[in-house]
Amino acid sequence: MDAICVEGLTKYYGDLLAVDHVSFTVHQGEVFGFLGPNGAGKTTTQRMLTTLLEPTEGRIAVFGHDYARDAFPAKRHIGLVPEESNVYTELTAWENLMFTARLYRVPKAARQAQARELLESFGLWEKRHVKAESFSKGMRRRLSIAMALIHRPSLLFLDEPTPGLDVQSTRAIHELIRRMNAEGRTIFLTTHQIEEASQLCDRVAIINHGRIAAIDTPESLKRAILKVQSIEVAFNLTERDLAPQLRALDAVRTVAKMGDKWRLYTEDPSRVLISLLDFSRTHDLRVVSLCTLAPSLEDVFLEITGREVGSIRDERGRNASRRTGGER
Amino acid sequence: MRDLSLQRLADEMMQAWVIAVKDVRVYYLTPPMIMFGLLLPFFLFFSFSVKRNIGADVGLARLLALTTFFTASSAGPVIIPMERRTGTYDRLLAAPMSLMTLLLGKSLVGAFFAVMVSVVPLSIGVIFLGVSVADVGLLVVGILFSSLAFSALGLVFASIPARSVGSIMMPSTLIRWPLLFISGIFIPLSDMASWARPFAFLSPLTYAQDLFNQAVLGRGFLPYWLDIVVLPLLFLMFLAPCVYFHRRSRILGY
Repeated sequence: MDAICVEGLTKYYGDLLAVDHVSFTVHQGEVFGFLGPNGAGKTTTQRMLTTLLEPTEGRIAVFGHDYARDAFPAKRHIGLVPEESNVYTELTAWENLMFTARLYRVPKAARQAQARELLESFGLWEKRHVKAESFSKGMRRRLSIAMALIHRPSLLFLDEPTPGLDVQSTRAIHELIRRMNAEGRTIFLTTHQIEEASQLCDRVAIINHGRIAAIDTPESLKRAILKVQSIEVAFNLTERDLAPQLRALDAVRTVAKMGDKWRLYTEDPSRVLISLLDFSRTHDLRVVSLCTLAPSLEDVFLEITGREVGSIRDERGRNASRRTGGER
Repeated sequence: MRDLSLQRLADEMMQAWVIAVKDVRVYYLTPPMIMFGLLLPFFLFFSFSVKRNIGADVGLARLLALTTFFTASSAGPVIIPMERRTGTYDRLLAAPMSLMTLLLGKSLVGAFFAVMVSVVPLSIGVIFLGVSVADVGLLVVGILFSSLAFSALGLVFASIPARSVGSIMMPSTLIRWPLLFISGIFIPLSDMASWARPFAFLSPLTYAQDLFNQAVLGRGFLPYWLDIVVLPLLFLMFLAPCVYFHRRSRILGY
């Protein structure tokens, strides 16, 4: 039985079509990544899958329970970690967990044992009697995940779990996701972080303009666009804007500056290598480093969503600063 | 099958209670709740009662009606948009329970606040001003039934799809104030012009005021049983459309 089965899922907001006849399945026990640019329909789809939003049309079934008939049994299988850590800041970590456990009718003995186990494994046991208002963003995130797990759901929805977190917290959450998956849970991961999806997901779906543009394993998707390979080169002079000249080189499709390096996208790396060496000679530049790169999941994403490398980086930066600016 | 349904019903009642207890703990001291639920009825009472030469018992009955009305009907419009904004409302919507259970829990919160706040004027009236309550049983029933009915009225306002308290408080004030002025609070039903009285019967506050008059003063305009029947009916009448309106809000993404 599939964990999630979606058929023809559609959502209109007035005249605006946000999700357009989306169909896919998520297998039991897999980590399924849901990627897409802003406004593509990711969050709307996830909200419909978690019963927070009613679809205009289409069918959703979770572990065989059809939402149209009765979403109640399906809700027992679902744990939800939304983008904003929606913990009750006026309550302590322990009270937050107890409230959620009571809401899911977890028996008293089990809820106390599970709360202790979760708080210990998430490094919050020492802070269990501290109100969540004094927690850092990473701690609130961990508490939010613990609250989603208190009733031992078999399907966990994680919406953008790591943006705005420091490296340690991000790694801890990635480790948690792997551990939860190893315990047999199905994970539905909505994310902007393409590298995160590449590292964690068994399969990914890319949604664009409300439609599923691709679904496959990250490696299969990369193989499908081998034509988008790239060469990364660093010269001894970094202050010069070489973009126009590099873009004019033979077989180069696009050029992007990556810190002190330039990335040249091409379908024919060998031709670009030859012209690149000629270019460095004629412009009196010394090549400091040079490597060829297979397409990344980000390249797949950009190829499918048809956006420039720079625009997605800018967008990610804006998202990160917006989130960190608005929260503790 | 029947056992399962009964179990689910018992679970949902417990979930409503859990929501109510949590809301009481989380929101009882939030500034909008203090402003709209606690201070406003007292301000109103003093604005319309000072220098009007009314007895302490009449004042107590009036203040009880005002506190249950404003406190209970403020809880939903304060709590629900705040929860929508912080995302905690999603946590409740995603839990395995019906929307009716969630709204029932929210209505209990408003009723609880109103009962607690009404204890203040009641204590002052009885202990310091020496008011004697004519019928304690009617008083308890009056406080409970009025609080529940007005709390459900507040949930109707809270179904407006908005995430800020102000966006809901404004339209709710536009409706609550006329309900206050056409009720028998400031002009008793017996003194009201005969053409105005039918309008007074349109206000739920009229029945609460009449029941408090029966309980505190020992006399009312309507038969007391009518007030006792109408108030729970109003609770159900307000709660039922709430489910429809809140479902509409969910379709819109709130």
